[in-house]
Amino acid sequence: MRFLKVVAIVFLKDFQEELRRKEDVAASSLFALLSLVLFAFALDPTRVDLNETGSGLLWLVVLFAGSLFMGGSFRKETENGTLFALLLSPCDRGALYVGKFLLNFVFLLALEALLLLFAFLLLDFRVLNGLSALALVWVLVTFGYAAVGTLFSALLAQVRGGHVIFPILLFPILVPLVIAAATLTEQALSPGFSWGNQWLRLVGLFDILFFTASVFLFEFAVEE
Amino acid sequence: MPLRRWSILLWSLALAANAASLYMVFSYAPVEVQMGAVQKIFYYHVPSAIVCYVLLFLAFLFSALYLWREEALYDHLAHSAAEVGWVFITLVLVTGPIWGHSAWGKWWVWEPRLTSFLILWLTYSAYFLLRLFSRGDARAAKIAAVVAIVAFFDVPIVHKAISWWGSIVHPRKVVLEPAMRWTFFVGLVAVFLLAAALYLTRFGIQRAEAARVEREEWP
Repeated sequence: MRFLKVVAIVFLKDFQEELRRKEDVAASSLFALLSLVLFAFALDPTRVDLNETGSGLLWLVVLFAGSLFMGGSFRKETENGTLFALLLSPCDRGALYVGKFLLNFVFLLALEALLLLFAFLLLDFRVLNGLSALALVWVLVTFGYAAVGTLFSALLAQVRGGHVIFPILLFPILVPLVIAAATLTEQALSPGFSWGNQWLRLVGLFDILFFTASVFLFEFAVEE
Repeated sequence: MPLRRWSILLWSLALAANAASLYMVFSYAPVEVQMGAVQKIFYYHVPSAIVCYVLLFLAFLFSALYLWREEALYDHLAHSAAEVGWVFITLVLVTGPIWGHSAWGKWWVWEPRLTSFLILWLTYSAYFLLRLFSRGDARAAKIAAVVAIVAFFDVPIVHKAISWWGSIVHPRKVVLEPAMRWTFFVGLVAVFLLAAALYLTRFGIQRAEAARVEREEWP
């Protein structure tokens, strides 16, 4: 019970802070929209059907914009000198991780909803073909992405040049997730999507493995 | 200095084994009918791949031990293992395309096993980038240890995902005639000894550097 309470407190504190500062939310949403527009110019949607190639590109946008947002989730604490206080507080450190993770997870989902809306409006991406399957796939993949991203963000918060290393360190680890995400998005929008899909199982394994490993490793790795 | 003596012994053994292996590759093993002389790269390509898995496992093991016991020794052992492992990933990535060029007519084919080695190379390169940026930072060792553990867990998942994604496959089972099999085993021993010698030397340097830093801080 106490664990969940700490999770809720950390989450609500960060949520409120993000809403008040608006900096990171605005920056990463705009960056996502901008990359989408640039991809459209690079591919010329009047000649290329983005329903065939677009799902992978959408995930690249999520990856880049998401790393922009998540990279800061612990750096803000270091900059304000509050990480020390957070770590000193007499609570389970795993709960700190889960609280931060939850904020990143919720924010990424909001960002993705926005992105899909724009892909639907601007690029004629046929989102409505399988909305429930699409939602499930994106939630599952985002869970794994946020789990690893939050851990690395915590690790790199105190390292010089951490914001430079963050995406370079994170993206190779996410390769299986990216392949699965692109394939599953394509499948979700075409008829005959099966729920016992091997890719869904892979994403599920990734989520469980890295979430539990992160909760565990966070306690070891983050120091005052 | 026992470490120095071990090092001399291992290096002599590695040199002898590699000389024997090279002799067998070029004079003893027959030329493969279909692929010709290029097939001979197999005697270094496959052992390098095996050795690099062993080294990455050691990097994982010592990283976990370091997080648990917090002794600098384990950090040095993990760091050196990852470094030497990275050298052998690079060897796999260099020898693979040379073979691929004659087998498939292209330098690079997005073949599952080769592709997962590329991802492995990128992952551990990022690990060294982290080490580079955090030089002289006492917290760096712990962070690097966590990254090595996460990266190691990722290896089988990356491999699975890429093999589903790609379509061309490596030969699953290779039938070798006796002369080829002997050459392969000698090659395996030679590459293992070379890796062990490199590992020991790198570890020695790592330890000496740490000792120097300590002397500078506490003269």
